[in-house]
Parts: sequence; structure tokens; C-alpha cells
Amino acid sequence: MATTTNYGWTTPDDTALVKDGAAAIRTLGSSVDTTTKALNPETTLGDLAYRSSSANVKTRLGIGSTGNILTVAGGVPTWAAPAGGGGMTLLSTTTLSGATTTVSSIDGTYNNLQVIMFGMTNATANGKLRIAPNGSTTISSQVRMDNTTAIGTTIDNYIIPYGNLSNSDRTTADQIIVLNIIGYSNTNFQKGFSTFGRVNDGTGYPCFSNGYISTSSAITSLVFSNAGGDWTAGTVLIYGVK
Amino acid sequence: MTKPMIRIHNTETDEVIDREMTAAEFKIYEADKAVQIIEKAETEAKATAKASILDRLGLTADELKTILG
Repeated sequence: MATTTNYGWTTPDDTALVKDGAAAIRTLGSSVDTTTKALNPETTLGDLAYRSSSANVKTRLGIGSTGNILTVAGGVPTWAAPAGGGGMTLLSTTTLSGATTTVSSIDGTYNNLQVIMFGMTNATANGKLRIAPNGSTTISSQVRMDNTTAIGTTIDNYIIPYGNLSNSDRTTADQIIVLNIIGYSNTNFQKGFSTFGRVNDGTGYPCFSNGYISTSSAITSLVFSNAGGDWTAGTVLIYGVK
Repeated sequence: MTKPMIRIHNTETDEVIDREMTAAEFKIYEADKAVQIIEKAETEAKATAKASILDRLGLTADELKTILG
């Protein structure tokens, strides 16, 4: 018997008898039907088909759930829920008050922290704005600069977001500081941080500092203070960053 | 004697507590204030010394910046 090139369907030989035509057509039709079904296994709206490990046979992949994405597992396509993406989650909003304001029990399930301080004023005198990770006064080391202070490395008791000689104006509320702490919750290595923003000691100017927090403990609290006196206003927003 | 107030915001419970410093906290606070006074005095002494040098040279701070710039 002759066969087709691609699928090997049986066809009558040129010398086959006409009387056998019906059986030959039936055999051929059956083969076409079987092959077609093997190549089109979908049964339901939204089904997909992909090649199986056998030639000329496809595997049905039923439609996934709403929101699923097509991915690969074990060498074949499959539907799966998308992994959680990056983003920022507001963890807390705190109004500054008192000689120190502590934000405690910071959720440790994020990769990084972003802290935004704005509108800070204090009661008695201009002074350095200071942030103590875990309340510690011995673990921050940084390089910082403002428009009047040469860049330099300083080991500080605190994270200080601007130059050593500069003070935050106690009455000027138009200051903003952004603090990023990288890897704040890990317990294996030290944390990097950066600050930037605008401070005002009578004249507003940009500022920055970069450095590290010398501890392998997770940062679970931040203590905010101003060397000039008690906080009278100001807001701290803390975001968890994935 | 009344001690300074502090604020503690527990982000897990969202509870905010305003209270006086404890004796131990106040001790640290006073020590910190002493350090700040020393730092401030050092900063002012440096500024005075700088002004004195500039005065002897007959330069203003802006003129010095121009020279160093």
C-alpha cells in the first residue's frame, strides 16, 4: 500500500482494484480524522495546543484563570498567577513631636525602605536634623555635602542628611528629606543608605549624604531628633519598597 | 523636674504614645546635649579662625571662593 509523505496515511496503489475504493477511502478518511484530532486537541473556548513529546500529536492546554500569564514549567507552557511586582507601600504616617520621635515595629517584609520627612520645625534653635537607626548613636558612617561644606567622610552618631556646619532652620517648614535604606531588614550584611532633599538654614539649598549603617541586625525602628530642640511640626512617611 | 516629652509610633498597632523620658533616656539626652554644645563651640571657633585669617589676608569669603574655584 502507498502512504502519504507527512502523516503516512494509507492510500490505494495505482494497481488497486476499483471495487476496493470504498474501503480505501474509508481507511484514508479515518486516518485523516485521527491525525486531525491529534493536531487539534482543544475542546473548550480559549484552549491552546502545543507540541507533545510525540510527533504529530499536540497536547491541550486549557484556558487559565483570569489574570493568569503564560509561563513555562518543566519544559512546557502552563498558566500561572503573575509574581508580585515591585512597588511601594505606605507603612506609616507619623507627626513629629517631642524631643525625639520614634517610629517602631517597622514591617520587615520589604526589600528597602524609603523615608520622606517634610515640614520639620523645632521649638528653640536651629540644629542638625538626625536619624538614629534602631535608636543607635554609633552605627552610621557617611559622606555628606551641602553648598557650603566640602565633601568629606564623617562617622556620625546619626544619619545626618546635610553638611556638618549646616543647621535646619527651626521655623522654616519648607524642608524635605528623602532617606533610602537598602536591605534594611536583612540580618547578614550592613545596610547602604542615601539621603537627599532641600534644607533651609535661612537660605534653602540642596543636600545629600551617602553611607552605610554598620549593623547586620534588621532595622526595625528609626528615631528622629533635631539637635536644636523639640519637634513642633513635621511629617514622616515610611514606605516599604519591593 | 519635668523631663522632655518623646513620641513613639508603633507602626504595627498604629498606637502613638507621648510620654516623658525615662531617667535612662534623659541621661542619654543630657549627654547628647553636652556633645552638641561642644560641637557648636568647635564650629564657631573654626568660623572665627577662618574669618580672622581672611581678615589678615584682606580677603572676603567670596574672594577666597573665587581663588579656590
